[in-house]
Amino acid sequence: MENSIKKNNEKYINPYLGGVLLGIVMLISIFISGRELGISGSVRNTVVETAKVISPKAAENSTYYKKFLKKDTSPMSNWLDYEVLGVFLGGLLSGILFKRIKKPFIEHGKSITAKRRLIYALIGGILFGFGTRLGRGCTSGAALSGASTFSYGGVVVMFVLFGSAFAVAYFFRKLWV
Amino acid sequence: MGPLVLNGFISSNWNLLIAVFIGMAFGFLLESSGFSSSRNIAGVFYGYNFVVIRVFFTAVIVAMVGLLYMGYFGWVNLSQIFILPTFLPSMITGAVIMGVGMIIGGFCPGTSFTAITIGKIDALVFAIGLYIGIFFFAEGYPFLEKFYLSANLGHVTLADVTGISLGWWALIFTVFALASFWITASIEKKVRKRIKDYKF
Amino acid sequence: MNRNYYILTAIMLILAIGTVFIHERKYTSELPASELLWDILQPSRFVTTDQVAKRIIEKDPSLLLIDVRSASEYNKFSLPNAVNVPFDSIETATGQQYFGNPGTKVVLFGNDGILSNRVWILLRRLDLKNNYVMRGGLNEWIETIIQPKMPKQTDPETSFEQYNFRRAARLYFTGAKVVTGNMKKVKVVFKKRKRAAVAAGGC
Repeated sequence: MENSIKKNNEKYINPYLGGVLLGIVMLISIFISGRELGISGSVRNTVVETAKVISPKAAENSTYYKKFLKKDTSPMSNWLDYEVLGVFLGGLLSGILFKRIKKPFIEHGKSITAKRRLIYALIGGILFGFGTRLGRGCTSGAALSGASTFSYGGVVVMFVLFGSAFAVAYFFRKLWV
Repeated sequence: MGPLVLNGFISSNWNLLIAVFIGMAFGFLLESSGFSSSRNIAGVFYGYNFVVIRVFFTAVIVAMVGLLYMGYFGWVNLSQIFILPTFLPSMITGAVIMGVGMIIGGFCPGTSFTAITIGKIDALVFAIGLYIGIFFFAEGYPFLEKFYLSANLGHVTLADVTGISLGWWALIFTVFALASFWITASIEKKVRKRIKDYKF
Repeated sequence: MNRNYYILTAIMLILAIGTVFIHERKYTSELPASELLWDILQPSRFVTTDQVAKRIIEKDPSLLLIDVRSASEYNKFSLPNAVNVPFDSIETATGQQYFGNPGTKVVLFGNDGILSNRVWILLRRLDLKNNYVMRGGLNEWIETIIQPKMPKQTDPETSFEQYNFRRAARLYFTGAKVVTGNMKKVKVVFKKRKRAAVAAGGC
């Protein structure tokens, strides 16, 4: 497999193979539990849990956190948390297998400094996290899973997300090229 | 027959364990396809790395076509699966914001998690940003609620909205995806001087 | 190498074209024909206008009146608290929500009982129970409840009881409660039928 980043020659699997396998994983997920993948919901669950721990009273009064407080018996919101745990484990496994585990470092484009990259990563994360709630999911949950189950909203999110990224790419080209 | 959990073949507790395995497969595939690097992900928007479009669209069309066949053979009851609900105004806004966030941050939640496991600090910072972003949303929810819940179309599929059957949609997406693969491959050939094709 | 990609592209295209032709399954269960025929022969599905009137006056909470005529006919005149589910929308998701709810007795009616009888058969074929047909429909309703005929002197005692009941009912329906075209705003509150479990999800 090839993909040369400067001097490093990373080994990646054929992307089409990866895509086919990913599609099969989604089909298996539907066959077993009737739902597909998702990530941002688990992040949301963590935020709710943190809020509960830090200030239970405020969490109960908040219109948003209130919705999720009584959910300890519902299996489906936990499904995401378990799945995300698996995502970490799977990524780790792949990193070990392909010898990509490295000492913690900051990866950045050649035109910016590492510090700038971190700032942008934070801003990007905040924006993305916020957008994730409005969009009812992230690229995995709304775009990928939604589109593949033919959801109208999912398809819309998929096209608008990538479209908007393409639209603003020019303005942030310094970050990457 | 399927979904197995809903029709009593598998208990909910097993479902959680299976979720871990499904997540593992997902994370493994993400990382091994190269999504654990923000530069790889941003590549598609600048034309130097098309891995995002290849993995993503392939997965979508495989799942779409596979889903329809599974429903046809009776392996899965299609009326029981979860369809993402549609709230157009808030979802479109969210998608725009996410697109910008993706360009600036270079990740999406799932890929950032896999990148964390291989030691990328920028992924960690991105993930922290996710939590902060959701926190902001939660705090601002009272003002956003009306917008957030507006225009609820329900759990509608493309067929429900357009009247064109799902089979046609699967075909349309497949043609679109396959065309984009061939086009981007030829672009890549022309743009890169040295190109080593993927070993098959 | 390239040839393999051509093959894969072809396979994917063929599979996708195949999905256009496969027909989606219907997920409603159907009653076997022999059982359906037997049930059609039973008279137990019919209820009289007197029985319906009694239940309405008693405010029986399990009663659900369904007018199977068109929306325009429904707006002109219908029974109090009746819901309009036109004949041609019985099999849609919105129509189906009224049926199969445990504890609810559905009484179908139309103008003369013929249309409502057909709807009953259709519902029974979908293995739905607890549906009844008001014999004679609204025409019978008008003749018995709204304009009851006085029995002859030679008729049995029960006829007179029935007549008195009908006179009281008429007062109830035309005096105490004026049934006009405003019925379309009626909101019936009841538990919708839980369909086969749908996966929760979302991200």
